[in-house]
Amino acid sequence: MEDAGRLMARVRDRDVAAFEAIYDAYHRLVYGIALRMLGESAGAEDLTQAVFLKVWSAPESFISGNLGAWLSRVTRNRALDVLRSRAVRSEAELPADVALDGSIDDVVFARLDGDRVRAALAALPDEQRSLIELGFFAGVTHEEIARRTSTPLGTVKTRIRAGLRKLRTALDPGVAP
Amino acid sequence: MTEREMLLEQVAALALGILPPAEADKLRYQIGLDDELYAEYQALRSTADLVGYAAEREPLDELSSARIKSKLMKAVRADVATPQQRQLARAGFVWPAYAVAAVAAVAAVLSFANNVSLRSDLTAEQHRAADLQQQVAAQTSAAHEATSQLADLFAPDGKHYAVKGGEVITHGGHVYIALRSLPALPAGKVFQAWTLAKGAKAVAPSITFVPSGAGSAIVRLPVDAGGLAAVAVSVEPKGGSKAPTSTPTFIRPLS
Repeated sequence: MEDAGRLMARVRDRDVAAFEAIYDAYHRLVYGIALRMLGESAGAEDLTQAVFLKVWSAPESFISGNLGAWLSRVTRNRALDVLRSRAVRSEAELPADVALDGSIDDVVFARLDGDRVRAALAALPDEQRSLIELGFFAGVTHEEIARRTSTPLGTVKTRIRAGLRKLRTALDPGVAP
Repeated sequence: MTEREMLLEQVAALALGILPPAEADKLRYQIGLDDELYAEYQALRSTADLVGYAAEREPLDELSSARIKSKLMKAVRADVATPQQRQLARAGFVWPAYAVAAVAAVAAVLSFANNVSLRSDLTAEQHRAADLQQQVAAQTSAAHEATSQLADLFAPDGKHYAVKGGEVITHGGHVYIALRSLPALPAGKVFQAWTLAKGAKAVAPSITFVPSGAGSAIVRLPVDAGGLAAVAVSVEPKGGSKAPTSTPTFIRPLS
């Protein structure tokens, strides 16, 4: 597939074929996150459409970095909005959105593919990976994660930081393992 | 564990997006003042976003995948339909009854396109579906235009000015000329609309048009009704004229 950054540049020029290529490459990622977070396929389909319509209508929101990571963030934030609108949980139980400004996008990760990321995730110790995935997909705060896993809050935080640092080291070619 | 380490753990929690909003806001402020915290946040946030890839293997059947894509591409193609495509599509809508029929036709085509997307032999149908989607996008755009025109033409607060063989209608800033029983035009001739702006001393050329086979025409003039003093129509050479070259079919003051 053509470089994602170039495809997004073409989308900015209203290139339908480029948009279609992005959809083909990333719709399973977006749908998968939506399904995991919302827990039902109809909502996941709607969310997937909403995310890709954002790609089409506001492609300038993506500045640089890993397109899949950016889409993950957009999808997660949208899913949090849906969970908020369902009002099954109080606001205090739901985490804050992750900011979408482009300044954080990491050029180191720009060309990473999903297989490599999944392999790095799979290589994390279970107790770190499970907490990180729960944190990302459950749309809950660290306190709720501690409660659900019957793990002390301090331990949750320590494992999450250790896991994220390990994941970064595994994926960043500039950092020695 | 030092206080600093605890703070760095909070930063990791923020990067993963699991801090409650109040805590997150407070920590973001601290990160803005502290280079080390900022660097940690920057590194871990982009890493945390990659965790989404863990969900890429969630089951998504081909039918659902095709359904989502079909809806998206329809919306996207409609968004990029060129003005020429819209004009071509609009050319078929010369009278309200035709417009209503066309809306029904569009609905039928849409329905058909949806059916196509649901067929089991998706691979073989993809090219055909893409063609249909393009047609649907163009026709949907035309249908929207026609619906908008119908709303103007039949608006209870629209203003109707009678002219020979029809009327001039204004509503919501839009101006339409609706004519029936128009005579057949000589070869190489078209009807051309003219507009006289308020305070102007000369008419300005507007669009040209030809009647349908039944001798009727509805055209929307590309001007704002609020600034117009009068509308006229005359027969002109194909391509239009800069000033009227024949006696106007009608001149209608909008007052």
